[in-house]
Amino acid sequence: MFGRSRLLLAIALKHIAKRRRQTAVAVAGVAVGVGFFLAVSALMIGSQNDLIETLINSAPHIVISDEIRSPSPQPAVAAIPDGAVRVRGFKPRNEVRGMRGWQEILRAASAVPGAVASPSISGAVTLRTGGREEALAVIGIDPEVEEQVSQLEDNLAAGRLRDLETNQGGIIIGEELARRMGVGMGDTLGATSPRGGNRSLKVVGLVKQGGGTPFGAVSSAGYMLLREAQSLTGQPFVINRIGIRLPDPYAAEAIAARIEARYGYKAESWQERSTDLLGLLVTRNVIMYTVISAILLVASFGIYSVVSNSVSDKARDIAIMRSIGFSSGDLQRIFIAEGLVLAVIGVIVGWALGLVLLEILGSLEFPISGQPETIPLDRRPRQFALAGVASLFSAGIAAWLPARKAAQVDPVDILRGAA
Amino acid sequence: MTALVEAHNLTRTLAGEPPVPLVRGLDLSVEPGTFTAVIGPSGCGKSSLLYLLGLLDRPTEGELRFDGIDTVPLDGDARAKLRLARFGFVFQFHFLLPEFTALENVQLPIRRLGRLSDEAASARALELLEAMDLAGHEHKTPDRMSGGQRQRVAIARALANDPSLVLGDEPTGNLDSVNSARVIEIFRALAHDQGRTVVCVTHDHNVADAADVRIHMLDGRIERTD
Repeated sequence: MFGRSRLLLAIALKHIAKRRRQTAVAVAGVAVGVGFFLAVSALMIGSQNDLIETLINSAPHIVISDEIRSPSPQPAVAAIPDGAVRVRGFKPRNEVRGMRGWQEILRAASAVPGAVASPSISGAVTLRTGGREEALAVIGIDPEVEEQVSQLEDNLAAGRLRDLETNQGGIIIGEELARRMGVGMGDTLGATSPRGGNRSLKVVGLVKQGGGTPFGAVSSAGYMLLREAQSLTGQPFVINRIGIRLPDPYAAEAIAARIEARYGYKAESWQERSTDLLGLLVTRNVIMYTVISAILLVASFGIYSVVSNSVSDKARDIAIMRSIGFSSGDLQRIFIAEGLVLAVIGVIVGWALGLVLLEILGSLEFPISGQPETIPLDRRPRQFALAGVASLFSAGIAAWLPARKAAQVDPVDILRGAA
Repeated sequence: MTALVEAHNLTRTLAGEPPVPLVRGLDLSVEPGTFTAVIGPSGCGKSSLLYLLGLLDRPTEGELRFDGIDTVPLDGDARAKLRLARFGFVFQFHFLLPEFTALENVQLPIRRLGRLSDEAASARALELLEAMDLAGHEHKTPDRMSGGQRQRVAIARALANDPSLVLGDEPTGNLDSVNSARVIEIFRALAHDQGRTVVCVTHDHNVADAADVRIHMLDGRIERTD
């Protein structure tokens, strides 16, 4: 069996060696296809991975807020779930915002191995200085935990999160807001909350302009120590948000669902927050793989052409081999082997071409936010394997189509014609 | 003696309007170890008969047995297997694979059969080429050999699988008198010294004269046998 395969391969190699120019064109076609497959997929997947990493790291993997997705049922409806109950004209009770039993939720979230949970509160205040007033969403955090959960610390242009602990009445605001209000590091601002809280705050940190924060736009958010924010906004001992960072970000969806099912509060994973964007990436991938598959398909036309010509030119040899006793399957395998050998050479050359293209792309620098940055590229062996398998598959089909003809050749027709 | 090849009412008609009869209801028996020549004018159905006997073509009617095996119901692959194991063909034109050397051409059936190792296959092919007075030509491709040498390579290839039945289709038709005589001598030796059965379709009266049995064909039928 193995000896026969070697014989069929030897015949295929002889055919290929005889047609050097056609072989070179077909190999070049596959090589270019594979090379550009690698370059395009490295660019697309590299940028996608970079984007997903940003999505994952820019905010906690799970955010539990004091919202409830669907209102809780009226007691009468809850008491008789299958009954025909209709409640009309009821007045909803005014609930105090904030999470009830948040310490237990925090403990449960922290119980996930490797997870870090950070409680926070947000409330609206008005900042005043020198006759200027700005509305601000003030967020109370625990700096020690927050720096493990989000990248807020990395996005500070000045100061550190821990400075909130060492400065009473400290606040971190966005660079843009500071510029608008004409304040800088160490300056003092007046703050008033809608519930009447009133105090002076000292600027101890500035968030970079354009730098992301885990809580939304930089320009309208300020960060304070949790207990000071609770006091200022008149919500003592209350929190309305827990951010969770997980060792495996991809487990966020399942864990968020478990927490929400258990405690009722809305637990949003990073995947849920980015549903639209992730959907867009899927569409982008479909387009990318369609285009690069088309490149490989076009490359396989060269193989079809070579094998098809070979079958036509070798009609007499096919008849001879049939008379010797080669089966129709043997003949089919010879010509499929021709196509696959061309594809294998093309894939190897294409891999080399792909590596060169990746080196070139990887060396290009583009100014992003004033910093020279290189393009993120996906260089995983998986893409090389995928390009190779896709090329071999399309080459196999391209060779199989004309190879079927070889198997159908009637030796008598050829022998009669030759005589 | 049991016949190696037996045909009853062997018929081959090409489909069409009107149908073209090539072989018409032949009865034939070929004894083992004999050299048989099939002769007749062009278009009388000699080659068609040979292709039927060699299992390259299928009869439209009738019965054809080879060594007791009813070959008519066999499918394409089974017929190919039988050809590979028991048949050898020599054609008017040498029909060697042009990219392969003489040695590689002779090795083809041996390697396809897969019964011998590469070394043993090579040794057997060399032995056959030497028997055909082609020692020293084994690494030449067909385009670097004379017509007589090519035909002897083709005979060596036909014998590579140690066949019971050697079929020749005008094997001397493209050779000069010296090479023709040599091929005829080889065919006689195959039958008389090695006990193989040889059936040759020919226009060459020298081949016919050298044969043990002559089948005269006319219009797809056997006119007479002597």
